[in-house]
Amino acid sequence: MNDQLSAPAVDVIVLGAGMAGLVAAVRLAEAGLRVTTVAKGYGSLRLSPATIDILGYRPDPVDSPAQALPDFAAAHPEHPYARISPATLAEAVQWLKEHVGTYAYVGDPDTNMLLPTALGVPRPSAVVPETMAAGDLRSAGPLVIAGIGVLKDFHPALVAENLEAATAARGRAVKARPVLLNPPANGQADVGAMALARRFEDAAFRRAVAAELRAAVAGEEAIGLPAVLGLDQARSVWTELQQATGRPVFEIPTPVPPSVPGMRLARALQDRLRRAGGRFVLGAEAAGPELRHSELVGVRIRAAARVTPRTCRWVVLATGGLSAGGIEVDVSGTASERALGLPVHAPGPGEAGFLPGYLSDHPMETAGLRVDSSLRPVGPDGEPVYENVYAAGAVIGGARPWREKSGDGISLSTGYLAAEAILKEAG
Amino acid sequence: MEEGRDPHVRLGRVAATASAAAECEVLVIGGGSTGVGVARDAAMRGFSTILVERGDLATGTTGRFHGLLHSGGRYAVKDPQAARECIGENIILRRIAADCIEDTGGLFVTTPIDDPQYADRFIAGCQDTGVPAEEIPVAEALRREPRLNPRITRAFVVPDATADAWKTVWTCARSATEYGARILPYHEVVAVTKDGDQVTGILARRPDGEQVQIRAQVTVNAAGAWAGRIAALAGCQVNISPGKGIMMATNHRLVQTVVNRCEMPADGDILVPIRTVSVIGTTDIRTEDPDHWEITRAEIDQMLESGENLVPGFTAARMLRVWGGVRPLFQDHAPADTRDVTRAHAVLDHRKRDGVAAFLTITGGKFCTFRLMAQDVVDTVCTVLGTTRASRTADEPLPDSQERRFYTLGSRLAERERTLTDEQLICECELVRRGRLEDEMSRRPAPSLDDLRRALRLGMGPCQGGFCMYRAAGILHQLKHLSAAEADQALVAFLEERWKGVYPLLHGDQLREAWLDDWIFQGVLDVEHLPRAAPALPREAGPRETATGRAT
Repeated sequence: MNDQLSAPAVDVIVLGAGMAGLVAAVRLAEAGLRVTTVAKGYGSLRLSPATIDILGYRPDPVDSPAQALPDFAAAHPEHPYARISPATLAEAVQWLKEHVGTYAYVGDPDTNMLLPTALGVPRPSAVVPETMAAGDLRSAGPLVIAGIGVLKDFHPALVAENLEAATAARGRAVKARPVLLNPPANGQADVGAMALARRFEDAAFRRAVAAELRAAVAGEEAIGLPAVLGLDQARSVWTELQQATGRPVFEIPTPVPPSVPGMRLARALQDRLRRAGGRFVLGAEAAGPELRHSELVGVRIRAAARVTPRTCRWVVLATGGLSAGGIEVDVSGTASERALGLPVHAPGPGEAGFLPGYLSDHPMETAGLRVDSSLRPVGPDGEPVYENVYAAGAVIGGARPWREKSGDGISLSTGYLAAEAILKEAG
Repeated sequence: MEEGRDPHVRLGRVAATASAAAECEVLVIGGGSTGVGVARDAAMRGFSTILVERGDLATGTTGRFHGLLHSGGRYAVKDPQAARECIGENIILRRIAADCIEDTGGLFVTTPIDDPQYADRFIAGCQDTGVPAEEIPVAEALRREPRLNPRITRAFVVPDATADAWKTVWTCARSATEYGARILPYHEVVAVTKDGDQVTGILARRPDGEQVQIRAQVTVNAAGAWAGRIAALAGCQVNISPGKGIMMATNHRLVQTVVNRCEMPADGDILVPIRTVSVIGTTDIRTEDPDHWEITRAEIDQMLESGENLVPGFTAARMLRVWGGVRPLFQDHAPADTRDVTRAHAVLDHRKRDGVAAFLTITGGKFCTFRLMAQDVVDTVCTVLGTTRASRTADEPLPDSQERRFYTLGSRLAERERTLTDEQLICECELVRRGRLEDEMSRRPAPSLDDLRRALRLGMGPCQGGFCMYRAAGILHQLKHLSAAEADQALVAFLEERWKGVYPLLHGDQLREAWLDDWIFQGVLDVEHLPRAAPALPREAGPRETATGRAT
């Protein structure tokens, strides 16, 4: 058989199963393309608080991401947002809202809400799970912040006190007080967020929590709880708690992985991908491009101790940045792109990648690929390295997602746009 | 009992409940291993004793070394006196401080870059100084330590071990308080008071700015690398030549035995397995100021290269952090290279030396010999006070070491497993349970997260506080040890301090870990916009360097 003439095994290989990869894969699969997602691990979406942060700080607080983005993109021409039009962003957000099943999202890119973190900081975010929205400190009335004794990753007293100080400093003081719930824990003192989320799917446990809450809540208070209110049944758990207490209930993301909201979103998107006929290969990773006459015709996949070429027409590279491992830095300080060996824009070995101050702007933070207007990684000459490779998510450099509060906004919009570019070519 | 547990020492509260003046027979300046050893020895001999330390205990050189309990082999050729002291104390500490020691054993190996002739001088030196050393076949050495460089040509077994410096200091402090001593951390000496040529005590400043007068019949300067400064306050000149050394920890053990290069002491010649990590050390660079120095990229590269020589593949190992410490090397003249200064110690009676009475300095030496140093200087204290009382520290075991059972790597896990479902695990890396954390918090008036780190090893593991520090800050606040503003500041101060030891080594998997931590603290918690996260609390005075990490 002459494999040069054989058709590619699939239309698209998506490398990575975080927010960007899943969005691209779902979109492409739903459009009828044959999609295989290859992921080394489950993807860092499962670590994410699952709020779609678009732009929170630049570094001053941003009230409206949609309004701020044109100026921000102009000031940061290598930022991924410099490739995303306001229309694309709005479409991507709308697309997500329609693709997360029962895990509903609210909000839009025009306005940042201010949701309390597990330290009580009002954190800007534009598009958020409906289970979190009642915590919006721009409009919230008095709050009761309820911790759960067996959960060590949420400290309601610190949340409440910081929250009062922070909102007072911003000019609209919100009253908050802590309460600690002690629902039955089967004799265990240490229950993690995921295990608690599953317990909330048990009706008896839910009723016990609701009873404690009813006793604790007073007047017009809304109730803030750690984001552990169910996994697959989050919406019904949340709805039932609101009905049982007669008060608005909102979730606050817990800091230590895995993130229950992140798990919900990842499972919703993965479920969508499966139903659209997309394949999902876990525990495999790219070992470089498969080339014919310097054209990319597939990806070499390493799995089960062997490397096999898998052919495709397009690749979406969504392997993540420095935390997920899509971009690596070796002991000499050299940054590289792990899957396809694409050129990385980063400080070189002799340059300072990191500065002594923890909150400095570390040059290495923005390490990543540079891309053209349709998200194809480019070389130093500014030309695409391969015509049929598109990058999405944190593998694209130029952003400081943690500081900007822009991570999932970048991943959503670039994942959406990468799929868009491929769909255009596919006709 | 668990390590560090210390219900008797209520830090900083001793003086807070007393009046602003105190009196004692023996006043010790410095809360490192030497100072705490002196306080214990003096208290055991029945002297009323007070110890002052400017920061927390073991925050100077003691908390910043690699943890090697020398057999003496390292000094067998170059510094026979130090070698004799090391092996003598090695044997004693195994007897009295077993719970602080892991009996790892040690190897001296001739690596490809070492002078092959040195091995014969080494074995002869060991025989002369009484350091037990036995040559074993290279194949046997490689069987014991499979990661060792297979190109080694000779190997010797010596009784090296590792010692947990913090645990040793805390346990000594506890024993000292049981004998009536008062241990006062966060008391910085601002003046040495004199009556004519007689030192009468000190004036110490507490973090709240209050000054405390302590009168003493004898004042012992055990300030280590800072002893020159204390001596100067008394009008005496003591030349301490601080020798900076850096160390780096990998996130797991690469070897189970202490591995030394069989060569004259040089940079990067030891790999020490301690607790859950391996530490490579060290450099020796003279520095003028023990509080201000830097870790350079060249030093880090040198350590990486040295590690690669001992254990091929070392540079690919995950690096947790880098830190440095300053050796208190004493000299009465100025040698060019600090490694040429003897590691043996000296007791200076300033009456004989400088005409200043009731003032002694104990200096030089090393962690391994802290007990002997303490014994020697308290012997001199007895002379000054005109009494004869024998030291008992060589015979009386420290608390928790009465059974003479060595610490083992699994000790913490075994302890933890007993309470697995009863209690929360606050630090997964170092297996710190909530009860321990709360105990430690309640013993300190306003604990910093960094103090808790040293006392409990909280945040010392692979995630470097990524998971546990939010919890610890929350619990500190919940139990009302800190206000919310103080908890915020403590958290930010911890992150700043941690970063110093992490950022010079960020690559590979540890960079991913650091980015995950940043995601938690910045991305999820938005720690950089805490309402009142001002600079670090003033109470966190203490050793400050330009770019150092802390010991693992």
